[in-house]
Amino acid sequence: MTALLPSASRPSDRTPAPPHVELAGVTRTFGTTLALAGVDLAVPAGSLTVIVGPSGCGKSTILRMIAGLDAPDSGTLRIAGDDVTARAAGERDVAMVFQDYALFPHMTVEGNISFGLRLQARHHRRSGPGRDEIRARVGEVCALLGLDNLLHRRPAQLSGGQRQRVALARAIVRRPALLLLDEPLSALDPQLRASARAEIRRLHRELGTTLVLVTHDQHEALSMATHLIVMDQGTVAQSGNPGELYRHPCNELVATFLGTPRMNLHDRDGVRIGWRPADGRSATHRDGVPPGAFLVDGVVESCEFTGDGQHARCAGPDGTFVLVQREGESWLEPGDTARVTVPAARLHRFGPDGRRLP
Amino acid sequence: MSEPAENSTLGRRHRVRLAVAGWHLTLGTLCALTAFPLLWAVLTSLKPANEVFTTTPLSAHPTLDNYADVLTRWPAGELIGRTAVMATGVAVGQLVIAVLAAFALAYFRPGARPLVLGLTTVSLAIPPQALIVPQFLLTARLGWLDTEAGLIVPQLGSSALAVLVLLQHVEALPPSLIAAARLEGARPAELLWHVVLPGLRPAVAALGVLVFITTWNEYLWPLLVTPDALHTTVQVGLAQFETAEGINYGGLLAAATLTSLPIVLVYLAASRRITDAFLTSGLR
Repeated sequence: MTALLPSASRPSDRTPAPPHVELAGVTRTFGTTLALAGVDLAVPAGSLTVIVGPSGCGKSTILRMIAGLDAPDSGTLRIAGDDVTARAAGERDVAMVFQDYALFPHMTVEGNISFGLRLQARHHRRSGPGRDEIRARVGEVCALLGLDNLLHRRPAQLSGGQRQRVALARAIVRRPALLLLDEPLSALDPQLRASARAEIRRLHRELGTTLVLVTHDQHEALSMATHLIVMDQGTVAQSGNPGELYRHPCNELVATFLGTPRMNLHDRDGVRIGWRPADGRSATHRDGVPPGAFLVDGVVESCEFTGDGQHARCAGPDGTFVLVQREGESWLEPGDTARVTVPAARLHRFGPDGRRLP
Repeated sequence: MSEPAENSTLGRRHRVRLAVAGWHLTLGTLCALTAFPLLWAVLTSLKPANEVFTTTPLSAHPTLDNYADVLTRWPAGELIGRTAVMATGVAVGQLVIAVLAAFALAYFRPGARPLVLGLTTVSLAIPPQALIVPQFLLTARLGWLDTEAGLIVPQLGSSALAVLVLLQHVEALPPSLIAAARLEGARPAELLWHVVLPGLRPAVAALGVLVFITTWNEYLWPLLVTPDALHTTVQVGLAQFETAEGINYGGLLAAATLTSLPIVLVYLAASRRITDAFLTSGLR
């Protein structure tokens, strides 16, 4: 098994197909606030691209622009090679799942799912889907998402998870080339979230559709993405393979945003040294420090038990840091002195401007 | 549980009960004040002519003569029919105008939106009587005197309230609902019909009833357009009971009672639908 970490073996990275969605120099201001400050990004065809970032970074605005619900002030937007900057929503072969699901409350589940197809049938009498085809396709997606028994319910009679699946079904029944998901898991309770994540990944595999998902949850982003875009203050901070972003963050923001507990940072000789809490090894004073390794001392202030280990929050002359101890490693208690070594290969170095140093 | 706590909850319960009692007393008084004239009118309509001015509420010799009189000598059916046509026409017309205007103002956000909204609001402040002369002249020149068009069309001019109320409701619809419909490929008309209108149902029903009842009770305009007392609306027709020899109160009140029945029916039918619509709305 080589696929434990997302790596170059993913199809989206192997085939250099032209990007499905491309934004070039896109800006957008709302009143006096600059929401997007010249965004350049590419969504690889067939990928499950996750756009992640702190709230207010512009990620939802990008999704709305791809959908055609918002227009850039300047810059261009291409979908499948075509400049669609001026094309209306609904003419872009794009479907979207909204954060609040936006199900039509007066329609049944079946009515909601078939809405787009029924409109197509009316708009294109000849080429549009017929009544039998609509029924067949609704049945197909309902089987795919386990909604067969709910066809005649109204949204008010459904649970949160069921509503989410209806929203997904409505989005995919038209077989759009591009599927957009705006914080699709935020309204679900934590137990449902894990299964919904798996559900979305399964749909992505089975449909082969390009999928763009927006979230503020870095854990969700890392676990779902085949292509990850981290945004900050209206620009793309870094994009690429999630494993690559996690291991080689290009700046401090990406480094601290991805991964929990967040990366520890220490100032040494005008350079910021970063290390992930799980990469540190607690060592006793008698152990020698391996050559090139980073050494940091502290006193344990508090410990969190996590089931398979513990998170020890420590304070020392180099500032505070968190150390992850796994089952089987020496257990720490508040008041203990902690001496931590980090292997040279696991260190991240950032310059005064926050950029990664080679 | 300790004694003082017990006492304080009891005290609170007492206070709540007192507040509820006071509230009910106020509402009851208001209901009585509203209902009393109506009740008196109905009771008087059951009195023979020589008892009309007595102060005993119940007649010693209750009679339906007034009703028989009204039904035989007064064109009740025709008047009610014409009024119903007028009230329905005005209610439907105003709602069509208001739904289209509210949707257009909310969805397309035209540049003239502030101007249109300003004029609409200002038109609420103009008393209808101020416009009645030019409106009457215009209607007369169009040859609409004594016609349904003359009764209905000029009254569509007072759609401002309906427009403003519905605009509020359109803008209160969740934006994601509109966005979802657009992404599904809905054109503006389809968006209005399939998504916006179902969401407006409670407001449309309530406004419909309101406009219907207001129009039903309209007096001045029908009096000008259809002055012939036998081919007019009920409110104007009621004036027939004012004769040279005095007012026939028994007949007047019997006719008024009869002609109120359709409104009561409309209200009963619609209030049920309004509550239903409120109950079945709700997005998430």
